[in-house]
Amino acid sequence: MRSHIESTGAGAAKTKPAKPKPARRASGANHENKPDDVKADAMELAPSAATETGSGADAAAGPALRPALLAGYRNLAALRHDFPLLLVAGEGGEGGDGWVRSLSGMIDGILQDIAPQGAEGEALRRQLLGLEREVRALVSRGAGGSLSELWTRAAKQLRGVGDADASSVADNLARARNALRLDGAVIDCDAESPAKLFSHAWTTMQRAKTRAVLDEINELVLGLSDILKADFMRSDAARAPAALKGAVGTSYEAEFDFDALSRLLTDASPRDALPEPRRRRIGAALSVLQAQRFFAPAVAGEDNGEGLYSFAFESCEKAREALQDRLPAMVALIKAIAIAELEIENRYKAATHDAFFESFDENTLTPEGWALFPTYLICLRDAALDAAETATLIELLSSSLPMKIMLQSDDILAGPALGPGSLALGTPSTRLANMAVGLGGAYVLQASGASLYRLRHRIRSGLEYAGPALFSLFSGAGPTTPGLRPYLAAAAAEQSRAFPVFSYNPAAGRDWASRFSVADNPQAAAAWPVQHLAYEDENHQRLSEDVAFTVLDFVACDRRYGEYFSAVPRSEWHARMVPAVESLTGEAGGAPEATPYLLMIDESDALQRVVVDHRLLQAARRCGETWHSLQELGGIDNSHAKRLLESERELWEQEKAREIEALRGQAAPAPPEPAVEQALPAAVAEAPAPEVAAAEAEEAPPSDDPYIETARCTTCNECTDLNNRMFAYDDNMQAYIADPDAGTYRQLVEAAEACQVAILHPGKPRNPDEPNLADLIERAADFE
Amino acid sequence: MLAPVTECLLRLEDEPYGIDDYRSGVPRWCTGCGDNAILTAVQRLCRDEKLPLEKIVCVSGIGCASRFPHYMNTYGFHSLHGRALPVAEGIKMRRPDLHVFVATGDGDCCSIGAAHWIHAIRYNMDMTVLMHDNQIYGLTKKQVSPTSPLGLRSNTTPRGAYLEPLNPLSATLGVSNVSFVAQAVDWIPEVLYQIIAQAFHHKGFSFIRILQRCPEFLPDLFEPWLQDPDKVKLLSHADGIEVSAGLAKTYKNLEAHDPANLDRAREIASVTDPIPVGILYRNSAVPRYEEIRAPDRTFTPAMVKAGLEKEMDKFTIWPAD
Ligand SMILES: Cc1ncc(C[n+]2csc(CCOP(=O)(O)OP(=O)(O)O)c2C)c(N)n1
Ligand code: SF4
Ligand code: SF4
Ligand SMILES: [Mg+2]
Repeated sequence: MRSHIESTGAGAAKTKPAKPKPARRASGANHENKPDDVKADAMELAPSAATETGSGADAAAGPALRPALLAGYRNLAALRHDFPLLLVAGEGGEGGDGWVRSLSGMIDGILQDIAPQGAEGEALRRQLLGLEREVRALVSRGAGGSLSELWTRAAKQLRGVGDADASSVADNLARARNALRLDGAVIDCDAESPAKLFSHAWTTMQRAKTRAVLDEINELVLGLSDILKADFMRSDAARAPAALKGAVGTSYEAEFDFDALSRLLTDASPRDALPEPRRRRIGAALSVLQAQRFFAPAVAGEDNGEGLYSFAFESCEKAREALQDRLPAMVALIKAIAIAELEIENRYKAATHDAFFESFDENTLTPEGWALFPTYLICLRDAALDAAETATLIELLSSSLPMKIMLQSDDILAGPALGPGSLALGTPSTRLANMAVGLGGAYVLQASGASLYRLRHRIRSGLEYAGPALFSLFSGAGPTTPGLRPYLAAAAAEQSRAFPVFSYNPAAGRDWASRFSVADNPQAAAAWPVQHLAYEDENHQRLSEDVAFTVLDFVACDRRYGEYFSAVPRSEWHARMVPAVESLTGEAGGAPEATPYLLMIDESDALQRVVVDHRLLQAARRCGETWHSLQELGGIDNSHAKRLLESERELWEQEKAREIEALRGQAAPAPPEPAVEQALPAAVAEAPAPEVAAAEAEEAPPSDDPYIETARCTTCNECTDLNNRMFAYDDNMQAYIADPDAGTYRQLVEAAEACQVAILHPGKPRNPDEPNLADLIERAADFE
Repeated sequence: MLAPVTECLLRLEDEPYGIDDYRSGVPRWCTGCGDNAILTAVQRLCRDEKLPLEKIVCVSGIGCASRFPHYMNTYGFHSLHGRALPVAEGIKMRRPDLHVFVATGDGDCCSIGAAHWIHAIRYNMDMTVLMHDNQIYGLTKKQVSPTSPLGLRSNTTPRGAYLEPLNPLSATLGVSNVSFVAQAVDWIPEVLYQIIAQAFHHKGFSFIRILQRCPEFLPDLFEPWLQDPDKVKLLSHADGIEVSAGLAKTYKNLEAHDPANLDRAREIASVTDPIPVGILYRNSAVPRYEEIRAPDRTFTPAMVKAGLEKEMDKFTIWPAD
């Protein structure tokens, strides 16, 4: 609920009998032309022009009082905020966080793209923001459908309103619509939105993954089919006259002598057929790949006809059973994929791989193997969570299975507990998220329905995380806060610390600092967030004060807790009345004689002081403690860190004190260090110059032995043809003298003469008795 | 690899290859023929790159040079005169995972196959093209070829060739989408190897013109260049050929040339003496046809069949029952 209160900065309230006067920090205009991804903007609520027209007024009848800080949000549909949301359909939503967009963000994006700066674009901006307002109002009245449908309806209504120039409205909206590249279902913040949003996010991510895996599987099917087909083409059956005739077709069959063709092909082409075990192995892998039921084709009808597995469930028990049932099929598929890959690479070695695949079972499945398959989405309502289901849920969260559990609560207070004198806020299901964090291996996100858009990246990481994930959500759509729209109730729960946001991502690192975060809460470093409240007194004087929004404010919205609050008439206000937050944060719960109150407003926006029952104060304090321990885990005010810091500081101070003491005691200066420079030159002088040594090594004087400049040999076979014992090829197929005595000096000279690149050097004769030496030596002189 | 276990199994069974694994039979080229050097360079490369035998295809047309696939212990396609390139393109299109080498002669490529050559450059499909340019028809025993020097006496030009030769480098550098052009000579194996290796690593159509000796019919053709290393100009660059110390001792005529410079490449290509040797041009940003036209998903035989049936059904007349 950072959204409402924090950014608006001021609720609108007055004390009787002044007229309502919205205290505006800024009008709706300051939200224009900002891109979607400026987070604060999308979240910001600000009274907009629609306030005055009153369109889309909050229809629900509220309780008599509501927290003063909620004064500005009576007509939610008139305020720009990140709902409604567009669940982006098709491939446009794939990749990153593109699967969901806020309506405001999209409209801002379009304006940025097509509206000229300054006055020129003003009409377009006004009209498009009007359209956004209209769509938001439609959705808040329960209209569903795709963005394009809602756009059409809204545009029609806008034209009906009678703008001075109806055709310019139509033109401008048509232009804007052309710039709208995405479509999909539009959802408001209500009891259904978490399930819709999660199913959509999950489906979008699964679709991209499925498409990629299925394409690779098809690639393997094609590869294996090719091997079998090539084998068949070499078989007698494929070369039989009848088969050849069938391949040519009827039009030209008279032109061929198929018997002769068959004979020719049979005689001329190789006969090697696939070994039988290999053919069988390939055939078996192929049929597993073709019959798989895990990955649905993008184009309907391109599947194997058998039912595909579904991965969306409404109970943990059913999801677990389904997974157990499919385990053998999973193992078989992974095995078939591995075999296919080895076969296609021609790297299957029966001697080792047969035994390996023989013993391949579910225990051999690695996390990477699991990651290939779709994850399981389980959408739960806490109201339907019985003991058995809760036990399975915990079991799944403790496993490493890819179970994505969305647990939705519509009511996180669940009524005052009836034990004598004690009151506990929260329900067992809302404590599950805290517990799941303790399990260590599960991804956990707790958030309210109002923050789903803002936390879309966390939702994505949770769905992408390899292991289990719990998304604990409060929809705000409970029946006991009829005065607040779900968005407001959800945000109030978050803001009041009744349902704080936190996330735990085991994949983010090894320590708490990397894994756990409460930073997504409004004023996360504070015990209770504080907002500025501006109002008028009886004399129309503008006053303001800082007001904390605590769990008491949230509870005060719930009609079941009416008896814990009582409004005090202005005439009875007294000096010992203190804001309730003081008795929540004060060391001993505030001064004992103080009377804690909340600031609330009635239906005519008049400010009231409402005294809070002490049992509720106690429960609220416990809630504050829970929040504080979350803060500590999230690194805020961490007591361990503080203690460590303290002890380190003490050590440091002692150390410094000792140093100072030592310095004082030192009278004489230390002797100078020996001069390093003096020692150096001698050492350098001893080292020989490396270049010279290398050059000498290269310029080795030619010996009397015959040799070949092997690196320049062109493998021309001249010398090796002459005498292949004397001349041979090395590993690079380049010639060298293998044995100078394996032939005559004459051969050496002739080879040198034949070598076109002149790299063969005959050297001096090795046998002084060889005939015609004088002539040969003269000829050899050219090749020295 | 889709299944993680495949990677492990493959690593376990890593087999080293030796140069002999890539050799097949004894080349029937004449002793002293430059084709041998080209074959050796390719075999060395395959070994050094550890290319599995069954992942290589050598495609050729007709001619002495085109006997190349017979001597490689890999897949091969000894096709029709002038048609090596379209065959290679078909292979690459259907099996982009294979390494395609094309061996072609000056007659095969620049004469009967010239039209395919031009379009293959423009298609820029990933393959390594070795144009064995001996400036003669060797297999058919000494007829003039498009690259024969002016005045060359041959069986078809007993009074000497009438026309200036075609310059394969300039021609290639003039075609749109050209992405790799190099010139090598068979008698400097170290540079030949480097050029073929760089061509192999270039993703696209890598055209190497290799001046190749035919001692059988033109024994003296390249004699002046063999005798005088200064008549060979080595193009060196960090992105091109590295001239080793040993090489620099023999070949002192060097020019630093950046293969990204197309204009300079064209100037260099037009010089025939000294012979420029090295990488003239490289541009890895040119799109490749096999990628442009790659289907966005894989169609299995069953999917193809189902698709065809669906189309055919549109035209099927079902007898009224
Ligand atoms: C369609 C066709 N025309 C002509 C020939 C005859 N022929 C065979 S090889 C060849 C020329 C080969 O010269 P080149 O491509 O330079 O290869 P080299 O033998 O020089 O390596 C010719 C014209 C043929 N085989 N097919
Ligand atoms: S003759 Fe020269 S080039 Fe030919 S193989 Fe022998 S050494 Fe090598
Ligand atoms: S004829 Fe020429 S090109 Fe052909 S193999 Fe003999 S030397 Fe080589
Ligand atoms: Mg030739």
